Amino acid sequence: MATPKQAQDIAMKDFMFKDFDPLQGKRLEIMNINGEIVAQKWMPKISDEKIVEAYKTMLYARIGDLKAVSYQRQGRLYTLPTNIGQEAAAVGSAMAIEKNDWMVPAYRELGAWLVKGATMRHYFYYFGGSEEGSRFPEGTRLLPVSVPISSQLTHAAGIGHSINYKGEKDVVITYFGDGGSSQGDFHEGLNWAAVFNCPVIFFCNNNGYAISLPRKKQTKARTIAQKAIAYEIPGIQIDGNDFFAVYRATSEAARYAREGHGPVLIEAVTYRRGAHTTSDDPTKYRSAEEEKEWEQKDPLLRLRKYLESKNLWDEKSEQDHTEESTADIESQFKEYEQFEGTPLEDIFKYQLEEMPDSLKSQMVDMRNFINRKEG
Amino acid sequence: MAVMNIVQAVNSALDAKLADDENVLVFGEDAGYEGGVFRVTEGLQKKYGDKRVFDTPLAESVIIGAGIGMAANGLRPVCEMQFSGFMYPAFNQIISHVGRMRLRSRGTYSVPMVIRAPYGGGIRALEHHSESAEAIYGHIPGIKVVIPSTPYDAKGLLISAIEDNDPVIFLEPKKIYRAIKQEVPEELYRIKIGKAKVLQEGTQLTVVAYGAMIRTVQQALQHAKKEGLSIELIDLRTIYPLDKETVMDSVKKTGRLLVVHEAVRKFGVAAELIALANEEAFLHLEAPPARVTGFDTVVPLPKGEDFYFPTADRIYEAIRKTVDF
Amino acid sequence: MLYIFKFPDIGEGITEGKILEWFVKKGQQINEGDPVVKVETDKVVADIPSPRTGIVKNVFGKVGEMINVEDALVEIEIEGEEAEQVEKVPIEEAGFGVVGTIEDAKTDAFLPATGEGFEDVAVAEKTDVSRKVLATPVARKMAKDLGIDINSIIRTGPAKRVMKADIQRAFEAKQAGPKVGVAAASRIPEPLAERTEIEELTQIRKTIAARMVESRFTAPHTTTFEEVEISRLINVRNEKKDQLAEQGVKLTYMPFIIKAVALSLKRHPKLNCRLDMQKSRVIYNKYYNIGFALDTPDGLIVPVINDADKKSIIELANELNEKAARGRDRKLTLDELRDSTFSVTNYGSVAGIYGVPIINYPDVAILGIGRILRKPIVKDDVIVPGNVLPLSLSVDHRIVDGADAARFIRDLMVLLADPVAMLVM
Repeated sequence: MATPKQAQDIAMKDFMFKDFDPLQGKRLEIMNINGEIVAQKWMPKISDEKIVEAYKTMLYARIGDLKAVSYQRQGRLYTLPTNIGQEAAAVGSAMAIEKNDWMVPAYRELGAWLVKGATMRHYFYYFGGSEEGSRFPEGTRLLPVSVPISSQLTHAAGIGHSINYKGEKDVVITYFGDGGSSQGDFHEGLNWAAVFNCPVIFFCNNNGYAISLPRKKQTKARTIAQKAIAYEIPGIQIDGNDFFAVYRATSEAARYAREGHGPVLIEAVTYRRGAHTTSDDPTKYRSAEEEKEWEQKDPLLRLRKYLESKNLWDEKSEQDHTEESTADIESQFKEYEQFEGTPLEDIFKYQLEEMPDSLKSQMVDMRNFINRKEG
Repeated sequence: MAVMNIVQAVNSALDAKLADDENVLVFGEDAGYEGGVFRVTEGLQKKYGDKRVFDTPLAESVIIGAGIGMAANGLRPVCEMQFSGFMYPAFNQIISHVGRMRLRSRGTYSVPMVIRAPYGGGIRALEHHSESAEAIYGHIPGIKVVIPSTPYDAKGLLISAIEDNDPVIFLEPKKIYRAIKQEVPEELYRIKIGKAKVLQEGTQLTVVAYGAMIRTVQQALQHAKKEGLSIELIDLRTIYPLDKETVMDSVKKTGRLLVVHEAVRKFGVAAELIALANEEAFLHLEAPPARVTGFDTVVPLPKGEDFYFPTADRIYEAIRKTVDF
Repeated sequence: MLYIFKFPDIGEGITEGKILEWFVKKGQQINEGDPVVKVETDKVVADIPSPRTGIVKNVFGKVGEMINVEDALVEIEIEGEEAEQVEKVPIEEAGFGVVGTIEDAKTDAFLPATGEGFEDVAVAEKTDVSRKVLATPVARKMAKDLGIDINSIIRTGPAKRVMKADIQRAFEAKQAGPKVGVAAASRIPEPLAERTEIEELTQIRKTIAARMVESRFTAPHTTTFEEVEISRLINVRNEKKDQLAEQGVKLTYMPFIIKAVALSLKRHPKLNCRLDMQKSRVIYNKYYNIGFALDTPDGLIVPVINDADKKSIIELANELNEKAARGRDRKLTLDELRDSTFSVTNYGSVAGIYGVPIINYPDVAILGIGRILRKPIVKDDVIVPGNVLPLSLSVDHRIVDGADAARFIRDLMVLLADPVAMLVM
C-alpha cells in the first residue's frame, strides 16, 4: 500500500504540477503579451470557437465592470470593487470547470460569475443594495459574495468534503486574493481540504495589492503557490493574464481533484488595474508607471492579438460585440432601476425558515408605523 | 426507556439521528475515535464509521466553515466545539455566515447545522472552560440557541435541533452533565424548540432560569416552599426564539419576575426578559423585575469561583425581596 | 437487576404523602407483599407493600419527609432477572472531562420521563390572565401609601386600568365614610360580653356598606311607583315553563323583565348613562348590561348580564340561573360583577310590594320588582281579579328627571303587559 507521499508522487507524475515547482521559480506562461504562443507544449486542448467565446466573455465582463464603475460615479450604484485587468484569471478558470461544479467566490471575480450563470442584473442588484443580487437560479451552484476575507475557503473545503461523502464527481473552485492568503481561514481551509482529500481548487488572484499593501509586504514567501507545500498538495504559479495558462492550469487542477487526488493551489499572478473599490484612490500608494507597465500586459489586449493573428477576430467584431454587450448591459441596468426597493417583509422573512412571533411582531409594528406615516 | 444522564442522552440523540438520516454527520476535535473529551460521542464512530463520525484538525473556524459548505450541498453537520470557550475562533464564521447565509442568498442556501458545545462553569476548571456566552449568540440574527437542563429535554431538543432547517447552537451545561439521571425513551422523539416549560406552578412570583441554574433554583424553591411561598418556575430551554408567551402569561399572573443566569449580568438574557416584561406586562407588575446573575467579570479561577455562580441562598434572598416588595 | 419502586398513586387523586415509618432498611431481604413504608396522605394512612421480592439496596426519604407520587421509594435487587435496560454505554471514568471536575450523580435515584414529545399534549385551556387589576407601578404605590385595596376600587382607565384619580376618589370616599362611621361609632357603646355576640365584618359586607353610602350620598334618589297587570305574561310563562324545564331551563319572570328593561332603555338612553360631574359630561352607554341583585349567604352582590338586549329569553334565563348559582358559591369573577349600566332588584320574590331601592352606582337608575299581587282590577269598567306586578324605579335626580323616569316606566309597562310587543320591537 502506497504511503501518502508515494500516492502523491504517483499522482503528480500524470500532472503538470511537477514541472512547475514554485520554489524553483517556475511559472506557467503559454502566451506572451503580444499574443504569441511561447510554450506550445502546454497549450490546452480548446477549440477556436471556445477561445473566441472566452474573449467575448472577457470583453463583456470588462464592459460590465466599467459600466458599473461609471454608474457608481453617477450615484446610481453603491461602492463596488473593480475587476479591470483580471478578466483572464476569472473567465479562464471558470471555463475550465464543468457546469455541475461549485464556485465559491470572494468578491472580485465578475468574469467567473458570468460564466457560472450569474448576470449583470445580479451584479447591479447586489451593488445596488439588494440581496436579490445573490438569488441565483436553481442549480447554479454559485455561492454569494463573501465579505470576510478568506472565510469562504472553509466553505469550499466543506462542499468538497460533502462531495466525497456523497460519492459525487464534482469539484469546487474557490477564489481569494494575495491578502487573503494571510488569513487564518486560508490555513484552516487548505489544511482541512488536504487532510480529507477534498476536490477543491484554491485559486489565488494575486493582483499585487491588498487595498494598499503590496504583495511583498503581505508575506515573506516569495510566492503564494509555494505555501501548498506545507499542506502536501500541489501548488502552481501561473501568469494570470494569460488566458491559456489560466485555462490549462485550472483544467489540470480540476482533473486532479476529480480523480480523487485532493486539492490544488493555483496562484494566478495578475494586476488590479483599477482601485480596490470605487472609494479607494490608488494614486496614494502606487505609481503611474507601474500601472502603465501593466496596461501593456492586459489580458484582453494579448488574447485579442492572438485571435486577430489567427483571423478569428477583427475590428468589426470588436465594435459589434462592444455595441451588443453595452446595449445588453444597459438594458439589464434599466431593468434593475425599475426595482422599487426591498419590501419590508423580505427583511424579516428570510432570517429563519419560519418567522418566530417576536420577529413577526417587530415586522407588524414597523408595518403599522409606515401605514400611520403614509395614512 | 433507559435511565440516562445528559451525556448519555446527548449520545442517544446523536445515535438516533445518525441512524435515521444518512445526511447527518458528527465531527469535532477528538470527537471520533476517542468519543469526545466528555465521552459524549463515545461508540458512535465504531457504529457508523469514520465517514460519518470523525476527528477534525485542531481548527474551530474550519470546523464550522466546512459545516457551512456541507450544508450547502445538502448535509446536516453536527459540529462539536470542544468547549464553548473555544467557539470564539469560529465566531467570525458563526456571526458572518451561519446566521446570514439564508438571508444573504434569499433562501437559495441555508445552514441546517447544529453547533454543540459543553458550556457553563462551576467545575473548578482552567481559564476559558467555564464560559457562558449564550447572550452573545442570542444577539446574532439567524441563529437559534438552545440550552437543556435535564437528560430527557437534552435528547428531545437535540433531535429537534438536528432536524431544524435553521442553525442551532446547542449548549450543554457541563456542570450537570452527569449529575442528573432521568428516564429517557430510547427511540426518537422531539421537544419543540422555542417552547419554555413551567416546572412548577405558583402565584406569587415567576422565576425564569435555564441550564445548570435550574437545579440551584430548585434548591432555593424548596426553602421558599417551607416559608409558605408559592413560586412559579419556568425553564426557558430556548434562548432564541424566546418563549415570550409562556413567560409573560406567567408574569401577568404572578405580577413578579426574577431571572437567574450564571452568565455575565450586563446585556444578558435577564435584561432581555425584563425588557419584555416592561413591554408586555407593565400594568401587571407588583414589584420591579429582578435578576440574579454572574458579575460583570470574567469567571474567576477555581479558588474564586464560589463567589461567582448564583447560589441557592443568593437566589432565595432575591425571591424574598421581590415577594416582599 | 435493580428494580426501582416508586411511590405509587394509591388512588383518590393524591399527589404526595408524608413518610411516617420505614419497615425495611438497606440490605434487608423483602418479599412481595411485605410492607415497605407507612405513608400518610390527606385522605388515608397507608402501608405500601413491596411489588417484588429481593434485597433492599437503597431507601429514599426520611421519616417526616414529604414525597411525591412517582418519587423513588426503594431500590430492590431482584435475583435472576435480566436487566431490560440497554447495554450501559461504557462511558464515564468517574467524572471524566479532561479539564475540571464534573459532578457525578450521588445516587441512582432518577427523575421520571416527562412524556413530552410523544402524546399530543392538548393545549391547556389558557387561563384568563387579564383578571389581575391593571395598574402602573406609580398607581400601585399610591394605593399602598393611602391604604387603598387596589382590587376593590372602581376603575375608569383604559382597559379598566386603575388610574390615580380612581385611587384618589376611593381614598376620599374612605375618608368621608369613616367620618359618618366615626360619628356613629362614637355613639355605639362598648359591648358587654355576656349580653352581646360579636361578629367581624367580612370584606364583602364592608364593601356593600361602603357602596351603599357612596351611592345614597352621591346621587339624590327619587323613586317612581307603578303597577302593571301581567296576566298575559303569566300565561306565556306558564305555557313555556314545563317544556323548557324538560330541557333543563328554569323559566321565571326575570328573563322577561330584563328583556323588557333592555328594550325600554334603548328608547330612553337617559336611564342608561353615567354622570361624570368631574368632567361635566354625561356618558351615554350604547350597550345594555343589566345587573341583578343576588342574595347570597355572605350578602348582596350584583352579577351583570352583558348585552341583555341581544340575548333571547332562554339565554337570559340560563345566564340568570347559572350566575345566581355561582354567585351563591362565591365563584363569580370580578369582571362578572362590574360594568352594569342599569340594575334590577327582585325583592318581591321574598316579600315586599314597594321599595326605595338604592342605585348600583355609578348607574343612574335601578328597578325594584315587588311581589305579584292577586287583586281586583278594573277592566272594561268591570272589577275582575288581576295579577299586578308592583314596580319601584329609583333614579339619580341630578341627571334623570321625573318625566324621564315616567316615560321609561310607561314604555316598560307596555312590554310587560303584552309580551308579544317585545317580539315586535
